[in-house]
Amino acid sequence: MTGISITVSHEKIRAGALLDQLTGADPECGGVASFTGQVRLEPGLVALELEHYPAVTENALQAIAETATRQWSLHQAVIHHRVGRMEIGETLVFVAATAPHRREALDAVGYMIDLLKTEAPFWKQVHTKDGSHWVEARDTDREAANYWTDQMTSEDA
Amino acid sequence: MPITIRYMAALRDRMGKSEDVMELPSGITDSDALTAHLQDLDPAAHALAHPSIRLILNDAIAPRPSPIRSGDTLAFCPPFTGG
Repeated sequence: MTGISITVSHEKIRAGALLDQLTGADPECGGVASFTGQVRLEPGLVALELEHYPAVTENALQAIAETATRQWSLHQAVIHHRVGRMEIGETLVFVAATAPHRREALDAVGYMIDLLKTEAPFWKQVHTKDGSHWVEARDTDREAANYWTDQMTSEDA
Repeated sequence: MPITIRYMAALRDRMGKSEDVMELPSGITDSDALTAHLQDLDPAAHALAHPSIRLILNDAIAPRPSPIRSGDTLAFCPPFTGG
């Protein structure tokens, strides 16, 4: 049985509870992999604020999860992304995958987190005690997404 | 029927507004032509022409250039920075 869960919400993400729902739930799955992204302490940072484009964001995440499910034969694919204002240490994204074998689950999680950074319409704003600024896209994020799409292209060739 | 133009995130700050609603000038049929027109109206709109800017057209991510017509909603988006 396969399933995809996409959530974009202002509510706090309870990564442990989400992982618990997947662990032990499917006897055909030997691998449950996950990634939890949280707001990192940086000099001067007071809070992070995530803006998105409703409906388009959810559709983009759904497409990413569907691609991962097909590519790695996932049983479950989960992407929860928080929006709004977050404090240091709070979870802003949770990605998980279940599959019969560990490699598929691990690769799928890597793919989903790398793709969502560049292919889903979220924008990060940093609030410091001196003001606010938008986070600029990083070449390393683009390269990470390209790694996966290049791999898939070469497999299809 | 007017076209709605949205400016997202850093572009909203750059433009000093979140959206414009205007009648589509005759002869403008795609997003590149509209971008050039917006630059004629406001020099700040040169930021919309940067190659990194993505488009959302009527609630779907769209390539540049994309055909546009009256009644559309076109959003100019800085590169995405989620996760």
